[in-house]
Amino acid sequence: VWDAQSRIPGDLVPGVLVPTARRPGKEGVTDMKLLSALLTVVAGIGAALLLYWLLNKLAELMPSKWEERIKPFFYILPAYLAIALYLIYPALQTIVASFQDATSDTFIGLENYTNLLSNHGFQQTLFNTLLWILIVPAATVVLGLGVAVLSDRLKSGGEKLTKTIIFMPMAISAVGAATVWRFVYAAQPEGQPQIGILNAVVTKLGGSPVAWLQQSDFHLNSIMLMIVLLWAQVGFAMVLLSAAIKGVPADTLEAARIDGAAERQIFFQVVVPQIKGTIITVFITVTIAVMKIFDIVYVMTNGNFNTNVLGNEFYNQLNTNFNNGAAAAIVVMLMIAVLPVMVYQVRHFKDEEAAA
Amino acid sequence: MMRIHRRGRKSLAAVTVLAAAIALAGCGSGGGSGKDDKSVTIWSSVDPPVQAGLSKVLTDKAKAEGITIKWQKVENINQLIMQKIQANDTPDIAFIPQPGVVGDIVKRGKAFPLDGVVDKAALETSMVPGTLEAGTVNNKLYGLLVSMNVKSLVLYPKKPWAKAGYTAPDSIDALNTLTDKIKADGNTPWCMGIESDTATGWPATDWFEDLVMRYGGPDGYRDWVSHKVKFDSDVVREAAAEFEKLMFTEGNVLGGRKAIASTNFGTAGNPMFDAKPGCWMYKQGSFITGFFPKQIVADLDANVGLFGFPPAQAGGENPVLGGGDLATMLDDSASTKKVMTMLAEADIGNDAAATSSFISPHKDFDATKYPNDLTRQVAKVAYDSTEFLFDGSDQMPGEVGAGTFWKDITAWISGQEDLDTALKNIDDSWPAS
Repeated sequence: VWDAQSRIPGDLVPGVLVPTARRPGKEGVTDMKLLSALLTVVAGIGAALLLYWLLNKLAELMPSKWEERIKPFFYILPAYLAIALYLIYPALQTIVASFQDATSDTFIGLENYTNLLSNHGFQQTLFNTLLWILIVPAATVVLGLGVAVLSDRLKSGGEKLTKTIIFMPMAISAVGAATVWRFVYAAQPEGQPQIGILNAVVTKLGGSPVAWLQQSDFHLNSIMLMIVLLWAQVGFAMVLLSAAIKGVPADTLEAARIDGAAERQIFFQVVVPQIKGTIITVFITVTIAVMKIFDIVYVMTNGNFNTNVLGNEFYNQLNTNFNNGAAAAIVVMLMIAVLPVMVYQVRHFKDEEAAA
Repeated sequence: MMRIHRRGRKSLAAVTVLAAAIALAGCGSGGGSGKDDKSVTIWSSVDPPVQAGLSKVLTDKAKAEGITIKWQKVENINQLIMQKIQANDTPDIAFIPQPGVVGDIVKRGKAFPLDGVVDKAALETSMVPGTLEAGTVNNKLYGLLVSMNVKSLVLYPKKPWAKAGYTAPDSIDALNTLTDKIKADGNTPWCMGIESDTATGWPATDWFEDLVMRYGGPDGYRDWVSHKVKFDSDVVREAAAEFEKLMFTEGNVLGGRKAIASTNFGTAGNPMFDAKPGCWMYKQGSFITGFFPKQIVADLDANVGLFGFPPAQAGGENPVLGGGDLATMLDDSASTKKVMTMLAEADIGNDAAATSSFISPHKDFDATKYPNDLTRQVAKVAYDSTEFLFDGSDQMPGEVGAGTFWKDITAWISGQEDLDTALKNIDDSWPAS
């Protein structure tokens, strides 16, 4: 139907199956609802304060030796409960739902998984997601590092300007970035004015307009979507890596120079080893973001022309197909895939802290 | 061992207080009307001008009965209503654009039948044939068509068309002949675009629906919509072959086959109004005139002509494809029922017709209320049809109707898949139950 263009969700967390009813919609919020929301917030904060005051009083009733011991646990308890309620419980529920049918009524064993994994379209979706994982984090680090190193050598005014320009896309939401880039790639029929800059250039040079997002040979269109994420994220990598590079002690560089090392050797053998921690942090953060990538693909192609990824397939299973089971199965697969990365990241942070 | 400094402890406490506050705030209560409070809430996703017109007349009618109407425009009601049903926060009446969703609501036991509420016998004679069937689930009427749009239309640039001496075809063969004639005159016969953001592909499904209902007849169409007849079937292949002939033949479409999936449906028809028309025919729903350039919209009757998509055989059965909004009752208070009877009256559209793309599903609707001849022509295509058939993809399960039917036909058109693969994928995606 012509008006079926879907609402773009504000926040999609493929990590957990967000109860859809709780997701804030754009539906008109009446004054009454606003008032009731305000009241709940006030009551919520009040109740929380009361809770802590009571817990505190309770702790104070204890002998002073015990009071000091037990207080931290009392303070942390509600946070643990909140995590259990809002993270662990939905995660468990999602795992259960992945073994159930579309409406989460009856158990169907592994059917969701076998159906998905044997489906050719889903296999392509998995492959596309893998491409994203292989290309984007590495490209982000390389580009971020390149910009950081090169801008480091500019005069301070030039450095600031370069960094500001490259950082600016970070301020745009992924949905906004995708909308902007849809225009970059837009194609009109031959002979009509081209509103997309790429095709404007192509036709000015005498070529025929190219429907860029349909070019699925060698996954060119997927790569064009990745460029959007790179454009949006390189600034993030640049800022962290630039700070790390500036943190490299100058005497190590000088020592290397005195020893007669070439600039390239200095970079790869002196600078990179000293900022390895930051590189890994950037790499992992981007990897996790890429595994959950959704908005750019959804807005630009909605997975058409063989550009589908897991995050988008999850959204369509849940909100187009109303298939809780398949959607949950996708989330579980994602969770399993993200888990080792997370474990590595936590360990890496611990090592960093221990080293610091 | 954990040691917390005094300042650290304070900020930790603040963070946890906030976390708990957020947690508690999440438990806000959802509303819901149980008793009759003489106020009726309506949700719809119809175009704002249509809503404004309908709302105005309804509010006046309801006021006479002492009922207040609260009409809210919501985004994407098909998804929203299912979410809100789970949250038990529903309006009294919802305007549902998809018969399949009405069926889903009935399945969840949340809709009330309209039999006995509205005068069904009278509506059967006054409404366009087929419209009541669209809202019928398990032999009971649950969705009442209030506004509609007509999709089996081919629009053309009126002045150049008359100058070239083209005439409306009376059969699909004649449409093919006309296409060849326009091409022979050195012109591009068809405008075509199926790009529609995340809903890309739907205009192609309209083509398939129009062709299937003509080759297979209304019964064949219904069997196809309910998957008694597969996509991989003679009738669908016949439709695909005709689509291929008109759309893929070199020189038939502006920009060629490769431009179809990248051209937006809203702007695809605009080249018709270039000084030398870039293309000469655009098959699209009645709402498309709203997308035309401003100076064209300013005088539609002078600039735009249209004919109904022709029947398979001249003079033969001529069903019409369309869509619309089915008023569905989610509350059974006396006030809500009263409002439903008001929505069933033909004159509910008197205001909307004049100021929007509204087409009344009532044949006895006062045609002078329509703003121009073009709209009267659109209405006439529907009123003259042998049967109004609701958009088929809307009635198919979401996996198909808003999923593979869009995506795999798009993949076929843009060359990622051949027809066999596309039809097989669509059939395979049909849910088992």
